Amino acid sequence: MNGNVVERKKQSIFSLKNVTIVILLLHFSIFMIYPIIMAFVGSFHHWNPLSNVFEFTGIENYIQILNSKLFWTSMSNTLIFSLVVIFFRVSIGLVIALALYSKLSRFKTTFRTIFYMPTITPLVAVSFVWVWLYNPQFGLINEVFNLDINWLRDSRTALPAVMVMTTWKDFGYATIIYLGGLMSLPKDAFEAAEIDGANSWTAFKYLTWPLLTPITMLVAVTSLITYLQSFIQILVMTEGGPGTSTYTISYLIYEDAFINYNFGSASAMSVVLFVCISGLTLISFKLTQKKAGV
Amino acid sequence: MFKKLWISMLVLLSVLVACSGGGASNNLTKDETPDKGMEVFGEAVMFNPNKLVNDGEPITIELWTWGAEDVFQKQIDAYKEIYPNVDIKTVVNPWDEMWTKLPLALQGDDGPALFNIHNSQHDNLINFLAPYDIPLADLQADFSGVDAHIIDGDIHYFDIGIMTGSIFYNKVLWEEAGLTEEDIPHTWEEFALVAKQLTKKDDTGSIIQAGYNFNGDYQAMVLGLPYQQEDLLFSENGQNINYDSEARLAFTEYLHELYYEHEVGSPNFGDDSSQSFGNGQSAMVYKWGWFQGELNNNYPDIEWGVFQTPFITEEIPFAIDRYNGESTFGINKNAPSAEQEVAQDFVRFVLAGDDFSVDYALLNSTFPTKYAVANHAEILSNPVLSVLSENIDRYMWPGPFPAIIETVSGQVFQEIFYNRKDIESVLSQAQEDIENGMSQSKFISAEKNYLHYND
Repeated sequence: MNGNVVERKKQSIFSLKNVTIVILLLHFSIFMIYPIIMAFVGSFHHWNPLSNVFEFTGIENYIQILNSKLFWTSMSNTLIFSLVVIFFRVSIGLVIALALYSKLSRFKTTFRTIFYMPTITPLVAVSFVWVWLYNPQFGLINEVFNLDINWLRDSRTALPAVMVMTTWKDFGYATIIYLGGLMSLPKDAFEAAEIDGANSWTAFKYLTWPLLTPITMLVAVTSLITYLQSFIQILVMTEGGPGTSTYTISYLIYEDAFINYNFGSASAMSVVLFVCISGLTLISFKLTQKKAGV
Repeated sequence: MFKKLWISMLVLLSVLVACSGGGASNNLTKDETPDKGMEVFGEAVMFNPNKLVNDGEPITIELWTWGAEDVFQKQIDAYKEIYPNVDIKTVVNPWDEMWTKLPLALQGDDGPALFNIHNSQHDNLINFLAPYDIPLADLQADFSGVDAHIIDGDIHYFDIGIMTGSIFYNKVLWEEAGLTEEDIPHTWEEFALVAKQLTKKDDTGSIIQAGYNFNGDYQAMVLGLPYQQEDLLFSENGQNINYDSEARLAFTEYLHELYYEHEVGSPNFGDDSSQSFGNGQSAMVYKWGWFQGELNNNYPDIEWGVFQTPFITEEIPFAIDRYNGESTFGINKNAPSAEQEVAQDFVRFVLAGDDFSVDYALLNSTFPTKYAVANHAEILSNPVLSVLSENIDRYMWPGPFPAIIETVSGQVFQEIFYNRKDIESVLSQAQEDIENGMSQSKFISAEKNYLHYND
């Protein structure tokens, strides 16, 4: 009798659910919590793990980065990049979702697939393709529009060019999320509005848009978190150039850590980025809750 | 169900362990013959094959590299023929992975006993290197690339070959422009004239063939060619960067004139000068030795020639250019002593012979530092190496300086040629950026070791 209880207890401790949770916790602790703590501690050190240097320097790294012109250029580029791409991602995503949701449109599944395809294509591959599209000598964009612009080597066009590529790649995600949102809207409210004589614009302005606010916030917040960490497209397309005109904060962190091996100052920048993302995300959630009246 | 899962995982683990092979010395035989009946070879660095290695007991060590495995394997095979109890396994890592994996592996006690070094990684590796068990005087007698690498009287690695810049030109475009071998320029002034002759434009004035393309090469040029005006990259104490200098300004202005006054090329024509030259769109480019391999592998149809980088005047300058060395092996000081012993013996074997120096030089288009092979027929028949051989002692190595110097130099090019900023202010900003970036660096320049430093 007792043996059965012990056996059952053993089984319940080593159940698939418990083991899965432990593995997930371990994974989370090793690959998330530990690196975050190490980055925080490392930000107060002169740190090069490759040569085993770890010397306490206090807040020197923070003073150095806050006095660095390149740090602020990168922060400003990151913010401009994020806001512009989010705006276009949300706008284009919503417009296309409305078009696909409309009773007039045909081949919805086909178009949905086409619009979503860039989203699931690896960013590295897309970035390389766009580098070719932007090539000043044989790029398709100059050929089609009969232009003579070195898109990625002109500081006036380089960042916008990367923004266009990122928007093109990512708007499909917003489209699918908005489509899901549109499908879940209460139909009776729209029928009532139609009976009351509301036209399409009025229905959109006073019903669709307000009801889609949580969806918009979801897209905006997830986009913000993603774009504040933009790195791959910069690495592949411009390497921060021309000069330093397209440096983003993540690219600067990468360069400082993995090219200059200054893990201490790279960690300090990571901590600052972490605080910024957390702060902006918190503000976004507060705004959402306020609008939803929670 | 859960039991089955555990059993499956155990079976999988057993299969993986069985397949891994571990570090066992497979197929190695015990060596019981110290006297191999072979002659001792080498000049100053000598190798005596008539001995037992690891007391004749089987032993396997690893050699980590990012390339050149065929050249290494040839040496390993020759060594294994003498010592059948030794195996040296080559582990090839991609370039980027090599420099993160290797220093971390060396921190433990199971890192490779031998590894290929690139001097740009000096700071990350030096603390893990065992000094060579070869007298310094012997190394100095056989090789020219030793002095700059002496640390407290010891050598942990040194330059086996010198890589530097030359001008590559397209022979077909050269002939089309009516130029002959006699027209090869010796001064920068002549170079500009030849570049103009090689430039072609369409009816609208747009370049369709660049006479000279330095897009992507500025950072390599600007860190070495100002040496021609006796302008050192570092201050006399070897610690402070001397980036914002008169000579660097003058050289950058010269390049600026080439594009904007002589119009022999454009920053917007052929972003990548290697590709542009390979596609036959640019007639001349400045490249380091590696470009020979690039042309042979990726652009075999291009007929190319090479000539020495021009000087300010006809006279040989203080130094022609900067070089960087391809290094000898590093030996892991944390490896078990038996493995270190084999590694030391293998390094002596490689350095005492001539084959490695020649093969490695030809593979990488690096000029060998071993005096005995400098006039080797194969070396002198190589187009890049024969050009370098003329004044090989006139190239200077500033030491393994921090990466920020090259990073900032790349930005300088873009600020001047793409963002059209004022040259003086860009160089001044670069000086500041490099100073900030090197504030925690302990680097000391090796410029003082240059043979003609006191000339």
